[in-house]
Amino acid sequence: MTTGSRLYVYGIVHADRTLPPSTRGVGRPPARVELLPVGELAALVSDVPPDLRARRRDLMAHQELLTALGTEGPVLPMRFGMVAEDASAVERAVRAAAPTHLAALERLENRTEMNLKAMPVHSAVEALVRDDAGVRRLAADVRRRPSYEGNVRLGQAVAEGLARRATEAADEALRTLVRLADEVVRGPKVPGCVLNASFLVAQERGERFRAAVEQFAAAHRERVELRLTGPLPCYSFVPEKPKEPQESQGASDFAAGEASGSPGGSAARPTAVGS
Amino acid sequence: MTTTTYNEAAVCVPRAGTLYDVLELILDRGMVIDIFVRVSLVGIEILKIDARIVVASVDTYLRFAEVCNRLDLNQDASSRTVPDLFAGMSGGVAKGGAKRAAKSVGGKVKDAIGMGDEDDDERDAHDEHGEAEPEEAPRARRGSGSRSGSRTASASRAGSRATRRTQEA
Repeated sequence: MTTGSRLYVYGIVHADRTLPPSTRGVGRPPARVELLPVGELAALVSDVPPDLRARRRDLMAHQELLTALGTEGPVLPMRFGMVAEDASAVERAVRAAAPTHLAALERLENRTEMNLKAMPVHSAVEALVRDDAGVRRLAADVRRRPSYEGNVRLGQAVAEGLARRATEAADEALRTLVRLADEVVRGPKVPGCVLNASFLVAQERGERFRAAVEQFAAAHRERVELRLTGPLPCYSFVPEKPKEPQESQGASDFAAGEASGSPGGSAARPTAVGS
Repeated sequence: MTTTTYNEAAVCVPRAGTLYDVLELILDRGMVIDIFVRVSLVGIEILKIDARIVVASVDTYLRFAEVCNRLDLNQDASSRTVPDLFAGMSGGVAKGGAKRAAKSVGGKVKDAIGMGDEDDDERDAHDEHGEAEPEEAPRARRGSGSRSGSRTASASRAGSRATRRTQEA
């Protein structure tokens, strides 16, 4: 790393962290990642490879580095592709928001992000027809008087029906899972998904959370397809820029109306972790 | 890397297949610092839109209708149980219909971003002169099912694509 050159910034950690020797950054060959200490904090930085773009291997390098670091202690992950003008720019930025960063690191300590996506079950047309009188009626109409328009209408009703069932089931999943999480954030809308939500989960509860998702998915396989990804760097739970409204909500907001939704409660604590 | 719990967690580290599922988190979430600049993400915006199976399209509607039409509705009123009724359907039409298209689309997108294989080297060679590469593959797909679909297409997430097909028809 040459002083005065641009730096790729991966994230922010406590200054007392050490990097595993295997830590590799973006670029080919992978850039050497270093800790740039700033008071009680340190920024994870490397040189910026020429022609840096959002390639698979660079996205993975960013992701894997932060995931690996996250298993050993809290990390504030940067969005992919953040580049600072030079080391002093990094120092200035980190120092300026040090109290915020320290508070965020404390909040994320021993926690991980689990991302849940919910999709309609495309193969559940039979179940929909069975349960939905409206779709059955449309299907009967089309059978009597086959037409292109009729087919489009029927197919649209099926698509909407599948999406509606998936949305209802996903909301139910959210209410169930929020009890195992400290916070929940709805992520950006993803085409094809009726739900994209990230949960901040205590690391020791990760397996239990996954089991809960699998259990729910198995019980509702005709209504919704769930995909869980994690443990992830806590991308969705970092401090946001002040001008953007804080989207993060307390878990209890989602559990409103449900009995004992206390996220920190001990009732749901797993007895065995890791197995 | 020393305790069982952490090793367990490391096993679940997202790999190539699931990078796909966290793309929007890596790109749209995470911390932003104002004075930092961001590398160009040309192509990624389009990729993100095309990356998912578009349910609301005329093509999908017609496939769903086809599945429906193959269900024997008359059996509904009979005394046969529901599992009897739909026995054999699950592995057949339903999956073969809507899902087949979905899979082929997904495959192309994964190819486009290079998530499908261990072909980083080859990809990089393409990358050198293929700036627009990510958006090409997903766009170059099917152009069928385009008769008078404009009404529904306007309600569709794939509005522009469906409209284009309508014009071609």
